[in-house]
Amino acid sequence: MELDAFKVAVDAWLDEHERELACDYEGVGTLDQQVAQLRKVMGMAYAAGFMRMGWPERAGGLGGSNLLRAYLGEVLTARDLVEAGIYSLPEVLAPTMIDYAPEALAAEMVPKLLSGDEIWCQGFSEPGTGSNLGSLACRATHTDAGWRINGQKVWTSLAQYAQRCVLLTRTGTPESAHRGITAMFIDMDSPGITVRPIESMHGAEEFCEVFYDDVVVPLDRVLGEVDGGWSIAMDLLPYERSTALWHRASYLHRRLGQLVSAAPAGTLDPTAVGEATQLLWAFRARSRATQRRLAAGETLGSETSIDKVLVATAEQAIFDLVAEGLGPDVATGDDPVSARWRAEFLYSRAATIYGGSAEIQRNIIARRLLGLGDDR
Amino acid sequence: MEASELELFRRGIRHATETCGDEALDAALDELGWRDALVADRNTAVSLLFEAQGSTVVDSSALDWLLAAALGGQDGGRTSVVLPLLRRAAPPGRVSAGRCEVHGLGTRTVARADETVVVAEADGGPVAFTVKASSLELRPVRGLDPALGIVEVTGDLNAAAGRPVDWEAAASVGQLAVGHELVGLARAMLELARQHALDRVQFGRPISSFQAIRHRLAESLVAVEAADGLLAAAWEDPSPVMAAMAKGLAGRSARAVARHAQQVLAGIGFTTEHPLHRYVRRTIVIDQLLGASSVLTRQLGEDVLERGTLPPTLPL
Ligand SMILES: Cc1cc2nc3c(=O)[nH]c(=O)nc-3n(C[C@H](O)[C@H](O)[C@H](O)COP(=O)(O)OP(=O)(O)OC[C@H]3O[C@@H](n4cnc5c(N)ncnc54)[C@H](O)[C@@H]3O)c2cc1C
Repeated sequence: MELDAFKVAVDAWLDEHERELACDYEGVGTLDQQVAQLRKVMGMAYAAGFMRMGWPERAGGLGGSNLLRAYLGEVLTARDLVEAGIYSLPEVLAPTMIDYAPEALAAEMVPKLLSGDEIWCQGFSEPGTGSNLGSLACRATHTDAGWRINGQKVWTSLAQYAQRCVLLTRTGTPESAHRGITAMFIDMDSPGITVRPIESMHGAEEFCEVFYDDVVVPLDRVLGEVDGGWSIAMDLLPYERSTALWHRASYLHRRLGQLVSAAPAGTLDPTAVGEATQLLWAFRARSRATQRRLAAGETLGSETSIDKVLVATAEQAIFDLVAEGLGPDVATGDDPVSARWRAEFLYSRAATIYGGSAEIQRNIIARRLLGLGDDR
Repeated sequence: MEASELELFRRGIRHATETCGDEALDAALDELGWRDALVADRNTAVSLLFEAQGSTVVDSSALDWLLAAALGGQDGGRTSVVLPLLRRAAPPGRVSAGRCEVHGLGTRTVARADETVVVAEADGGPVAFTVKASSLELRPVRGLDPALGIVEVTGDLNAAAGRPVDWEAAASVGQLAVGHELVGLARAMLELARQHALDRVQFGRPISSFQAIRHRLAESLVAVEAADGLLAAAWEDPSPVMAAMAKGLAGRSARAVARHAQQVLAGIGFTTEHPLHRYVRRTIVIDQLLGASSVLTRQLGEDVLERGTLPPTLPL
């Protein structure tokens, strides 16, 4: 289906099912409510076929261009039917499965993710491993029964809801750095996994500590090559900075629009509003070009770090304005609308941390795009 | 344009801007058929030429031709056009009581051309007058960027025979053109700083290995690409709002890159022996042409706040 026809069909479907699709809570909701809403909307969009479009047929999709996925997430976010951050998780995780999992596994699992039947999580970060992903320590040992995993992950978003996890493990020697990492697809109900949710600053148990004690993973759950996990992580990052960010821009657009209509006269500096608007439009222009390159079959790479810096800068500029124009609501409002502005203002502070920090993006730009060589 | 034709055109433009001085560039552009390209594919003609002008700090009559053509002149865009004073984007003339008072700027083309177009605000909307250059007073401006050769234009004209024109539409393409020139300037400044960072050794290592330097340069690339991307989008949806937004961001980006490049180039970049100063001068002057970035940015914010809604979104 072409993009224009898809837009018409999706819009009509959303209009028709407006009541059933709508959130049944006011304001930010609890994470339980957000996840339930997400599963409902994804389930309905999957049954209607829309959620399968833009994904390859061998993984249960209906084919077609990535632009269809980009539009679906954009419009679901614009209509405030899903929370963009958790909606976009499949954009990060499904491509990894499709490109690296054994074909039958991808065909079996990806539809469960897209239909909202399952939530998946991403186990990369560890207590000792944040920006320096190549230093991760969570150990996987080869045994006849399968890979035996021992270690700890942290900041694993939605782990308490997740049925599966894309996990990075250390299979080489501790010194093997990025050469000794292996990616695996884990069932979260495997014996030996303990999940401890952590309350984050914005008031939700968004992420978790996850402990792996002698967890056994079947040998055929390796993604890509043994010791080849680094390249999977690197291939995945540009996806993390493309369609998911287009969805995020739709959310920022909605919130900036709501802010300028809600902020009392005289509370916002027009120059700051102009700057934030320019930034968001520039991001959308750039992200749209990225979407089109993806649709034309190009491979994305380090240049998506520019997209990531731009969206994070725009998000923080917009929510800095929220803290000005709606400052009293953010600070002392206890009604659901204020609580939502507050939670989202706080969440925006993480925009330069997750998905590769702002500094790491600048390091990538300096090294890969500007050719400045080593930083030593 | 077809791909092969486009590549030839691109190379022709680049060669012309790299080898011609300001005076010779007009003739070279005529030879390349730039004005035919302007009619056939305005986006390509404008973006290629103006970015190339920025990256080499040369200047042509192209801005005058572009505005004259957009104002619907009968001469194939041969004449010059009086520009608003710096910072402003409104027409440089004002009609009242049968007279047209003019106070604006001209590129060096104004001094050369036989005729010039003056657009003025009038009660029924903007009107244009085509007048003999000799009927206006021209004061050569040296200022921050003497190489630009701008003139201050004043005059008091008989206001009969004005023709209605769409000044906003013409100013918008002018803004896009200047926006591309700013991107060209910014890219060139970034490249000067990048090369210097790789070559210059302090504390026994190239300064490009210091993260403070690397992040300034990375920041500069983000700024340039943001501006370039928004300009490209503005061509797809050519509205006055988008053009002003794109030019506003291009000006802010070029000023930011100028700051970073100046710091990375340090002492050598502060001399007239190094080319940086020419780029910095040009950036600060043309940022203010057809609306300064500070003015356009504030105006955008004021409009958004007054209406309580955002400009139309960019569709996928
Ligand atoms: C809301 C949220 C959700 C997340 N979800 C997940 C998830 O689902 N799965 C997952 O695996 N992880 C997740 N993370 C973790 C995230 O990826 C890490 O927080 C991030 O990689 C940074 O690691 P860190 O927090 O350990 O900071 P550190 O790496 O310790 O960095 C601390 C500071 O030092 C800077 N710094 C570090 N190295 C350099 C350098 N070389 N040059 C310059 N500056 C440097 C950083 O930019 C940062 O400012 C999430 C984080 C957040 C906030």
